[in-house]
Amino acid sequence: MTAPRRLRKELSDLQENTLKGFRDIKTDDDNLLRWTGLIVPDNPPYNKGAFRIEINFPAEYPFKPPKINFKTRIYHPNIDEKGQVCLPIISTENWKPATRTDQVVQALVDLVNEPEPERPLRAELAEEFLRDRKKFVKNAEDYTKKHSEKRPAD
Amino acid sequence: MSGGGGEEEEQQQQRQHQHQLPGVSSSASGSGAAAGRATPEMKRSAVRSLIQRYFHQLQSGCGNAHCTNDNCASSGKVAPMTPNEVAAKALQLFSQDAQLCEASASASSSPQDVDMLSPNDSSSSSSGSSTSTITSASTTTTTSTQSQSAPAAVVVAAAAAAPSESSIPVQSLPQLDLVAEPLSVGSGPCTPTLPPVQSLDANSLIALYEQCRAADSYDRICHAIGDVFSFVDRLSKSFVRSAEPAASSSLQELLDNPPEALNKEQLRMLEGEHDKDEDCTQKEEEEAAGGDSEAACSGEVVVVTETEAETEDEDVPMAQPEADSQAEGEDKSQSSDTMVDFQGLRRVQRLLFVCQTRAITEKLTTSVIQLAEWVQYMRPDWEKVIHCLVICFDLATNTNNSVVDIDYLDRALPKLCQAAASMPVPAQARLARIWAAHCPDQLQTLVAACQQQITLQVLLDEESMRENGSIIGMTKVLKIVFYANILASELELPSCRIPLEDRAETPATSSSSSGPVEDDLFVYSSVHQPHMPKFAEDQLEKALQVSAIDCRRPLVPLEEFYNEALSENIQMHHDYLSYKTLAMESEMGSGQTNYFSFMLYAFILTPATKVDALYYDSRMRMYSERYSSLYSMLNNFGQDGQDGTPRPDLKLTVRRDQLINDALIGLELVAMSNPKDLKKQLVVEFVGEQGIDEGGVSKEFFQLIVEEIFNPAFGMFVQQEETNNMWFNATPFENGAQFTLIGIIIGLAIYNNVILAVNFPMVVYRKLMGYCGTFADLNDWSPTLYKSLKSMLDYQGEDMEEVFDQTFKISYSNVFGEMVEHELVPHGKDVLVGQHNKQLFVNLYSDFLLNMNIQQQFNAFRKGFEMVTDESPLKLLFRPEEIEMLVCGSREFDFVELEHSTEYEGGYTDETQIIQDFWSIVHAMPNESKRKLLEFTTGSARVPVGGLKCLRLLITRHGPDSDRLPTSHTCFNVLLLPEYSSREKLEERLLKAINYSKGFGML
Repeated sequence: MTAPRRLRKELSDLQENTLKGFRDIKTDDDNLLRWTGLIVPDNPPYNKGAFRIEINFPAEYPFKPPKINFKTRIYHPNIDEKGQVCLPIISTENWKPATRTDQVVQALVDLVNEPEPERPLRAELAEEFLRDRKKFVKNAEDYTKKHSEKRPAD
Repeated sequence: MSGGGGEEEEQQQQRQHQHQLPGVSSSASGSGAAAGRATPEMKRSAVRSLIQRYFHQLQSGCGNAHCTNDNCASSGKVAPMTPNEVAAKALQLFSQDAQLCEASASASSSPQDVDMLSPNDSSSSSSGSSTSTITSASTTTTTSTQSQSAPAAVVVAAAAAAPSESSIPVQSLPQLDLVAEPLSVGSGPCTPTLPPVQSLDANSLIALYEQCRAADSYDRICHAIGDVFSFVDRLSKSFVRSAEPAASSSLQELLDNPPEALNKEQLRMLEGEHDKDEDCTQKEEEEAAGGDSEAACSGEVVVVTETEAETEDEDVPMAQPEADSQAEGEDKSQSSDTMVDFQGLRRVQRLLFVCQTRAITEKLTTSVIQLAEWVQYMRPDWEKVIHCLVICFDLATNTNNSVVDIDYLDRALPKLCQAAASMPVPAQARLARIWAAHCPDQLQTLVAACQQQITLQVLLDEESMRENGSIIGMTKVLKIVFYANILASELELPSCRIPLEDRAETPATSSSSSGPVEDDLFVYSSVHQPHMPKFAEDQLEKALQVSAIDCRRPLVPLEEFYNEALSENIQMHHDYLSYKTLAMESEMGSGQTNYFSFMLYAFILTPATKVDALYYDSRMRMYSERYSSLYSMLNNFGQDGQDGTPRPDLKLTVRRDQLINDALIGLELVAMSNPKDLKKQLVVEFVGEQGIDEGGVSKEFFQLIVEEIFNPAFGMFVQQEETNNMWFNATPFENGAQFTLIGIIIGLAIYNNVILAVNFPMVVYRKLMGYCGTFADLNDWSPTLYKSLKSMLDYQGEDMEEVFDQTFKISYSNVFGEMVEHELVPHGKDVLVGQHNKQLFVNLYSDFLLNMNIQQQFNAFRKGFEMVTDESPLKLLFRPEEIEMLVCGSREFDFVELEHSTEYEGGYTDETQIIQDFWSIVHAMPNESKRKLLEFTTGSARVPVGGLKCLRLLITRHGPDSDRLPTSHTCFNVLLLPEYSSREKLEERLLKAINYSKGFGML
């Protein structure tokens, strides 16, 4: 099982001291470059479910940033229908090799809790979020009920 | 005053011209006489200077903020133009006798200049002093000795060497750096009898200026300038940085509070005193100095000169031996030391270039010209000359574009350049080092000034520009500036300049460990690969030990060294002949001729012009190869030579469906048996097709083969995700021989002047030129990786080991997406990266990715490339960035440019309806269709170097309306267009044609 040394360290750190919003971290035994985990948001309308994400680390990690994908569908202005998310901290322009995965995940959890409609991936949702918050919340709750995973116990 | 005669006459001519123009102040002296003697040559120079004035007026303006002249840049009504356009316009204005702004108007409105002048004398001095210049300049000052305010007085008085009675206390006076010698011998009654001023520095010059201003006569300062600036010995002792700065503090005070207090009244008082004193002073002088009839004009100066004379006497010998001993030192040419007092120089700058005292500038200019000419012919002590040149060039670069400055540039700069160019290489190297170390911020101005002069000279002398001494001199100086620029920029260290030999060695050593050695397949030995002919090696580069390649971000962008006018008018075939002559001479060992080839000054040539040079070189070689094979064919005629006769060309016969195999096998045969044949003209034949290769068929051949070779599925190259660049597959399935063949193909494309659609990162071209990849190259290889490593280098915390947790083991993914690990140092997995070794880590990491990891593949590739290009002047002419352009063309589609350069035949003109429709359709096309159209008509989707206008597209009428599709002759860039009946039909046919094209003679 080969992986950049730092990645292995980060994984064990995260598994020992779990983040409140990120649980159930798993990797394939033969590929440490691919992680999955559950995003567990606090804020409505997402606080009734959990969302599975996949983090892919490049072989050159930490000199190239990881990529994040949502495996669970989510009604969110910053996450598109294919599960792609635009997270500044891991964009190629902003990436710093000193950035650690827990910071990345925390940024993602924050984004899920607090959508940023001013730089949306799904313009129509951002529009709805700004114009008709009630409707947006309702849609998102319904969507969460329908698609999201069960929140881990505790 | 020898040697300046031509200039003076020219000047009179110029003045005379002004005389005829409205609103130009007149100069009184002898213009009528000059007109009477005017020779055609003088007329020519007068015309020339007038054109120059128009040129500068258009480019820089007269300086008057309220200027209303439509043809003056100061009015704001002149549209931005390139120097070429400006020059053309200037010629036009001249022929129309258009309005020319009053030159002296500029400075009076320029705030910078105003403060130098007291309100009292600003108006009157201009015309008066210019008169006196002319007199003194043309008649060797005989007349001026009679005048009241003669400059002689200053020095003569000092020469008396006895304390003269002065009403003004010594302490209050500015120190003057005029050294008086005992009166010179043999001064007849008519010749100037004043001893020359021996040196000047900033303070003395300023003081002298103040006094002259007070006296409202600038003759003295003019004279001092003439004395000093005309002679290397004197100028080399001037503007010397003082060793003890404390001494100048009192002077500084004086400067800060110039004796402005002298108003007109005081002045008159002073003058009155002088008048009174005159007689006795004169007598005393006559007694002391031996019969000089000169009248003293100002008592204060007398005293000052004297006091200073003593200190200066001590100063000079102190500075001088130092300079001399340095000159003898072995490492002199490595040194950037100079004693020039730049600060002081810049202080006096404005004073020398003030319009109101144009006489000063005038004197300065003629003196500098005289000095420059003297240097050229007398070849004196170079160390002194360097001091002088540094001063004179510094004056040229600290101008503010007023008319007076430009006059200095126009006349003195070319001469200065010729003087500098006549210096031996070590002295030139020294000049470059001094410039780099002391005035890097002036380099841009110097480049611009030289370029402007070159452009101007080229346009004035189009036919014989290649022999024009001024142009050659300035080109040579530009080279000094070019290297100064590189020295002044941030250099990459250690240099990525090769160990070319080392690089050539390594595959042999490394391949022994990594299996089979396939290099033996080819006869070609990469040992004899320096593709730089010996005579073309740049001595200056050698002396300075720098190369443009070491500098990623030059202070002055290297593009600014291109001279468009020169490149356009050079007539490359002539220049190439000079180049060949030089090459031949160096082979025969003769050398030392006067041939000059701009190819050895490639920085000044635009890429498009350099492509011409390369083209001539390739053609010459092809012809000579062809000739020798024809010759041996004749020799073998009649013998039973079955296959002994070589072909006159390099013929490849390929099947479309077996393109790569056929081509590679064909080339492999040639490369193995006789690599020299690669330098014959390439002729491609597709089996079963009727196209005859006049260039078009091989263009398509290259196009197709590149598409296949670089297809990632082919396995030799991988596409980098981030940049779409192609990179060598580090785990290839093919052997090295395949990469050699690809190298040959790239070389052939350059050699046969074909553009390829390849996307290599720049580092490939740098490596091809013999350099190795370094960290800086990662920037366009993988921007993210580069930025990450950079931020690692920038990290200053001591907790680096914890934060990064990075060892000297790195990982990357191979072509299958698997992760591969590599230890940069033995046991790298146990070595953590910290502050002490982060730079090493980054260097090793870069070296691994760009060099080590693909070494075998790349060396094979480069070997193939060099089989074709080893003898070509490629490396001499092109920088890696330019090679990239050469291979790939530039990447923009400018179809407007294409339309402007397109020509028509068969009845079409640019007015024909169908042509107008054609262009409106084309301009509306998406980029992809434009690309296809380009490929359809020219055989290549890439823009040639120099832009689309270099394609010279020809659109020919192909009969009346019909259902035929448009066709093309790609080798000649001809589009055959039937005169379709409607715009709709044209569009439909055209799109069909460009979307279903490939192959020859099938449409």
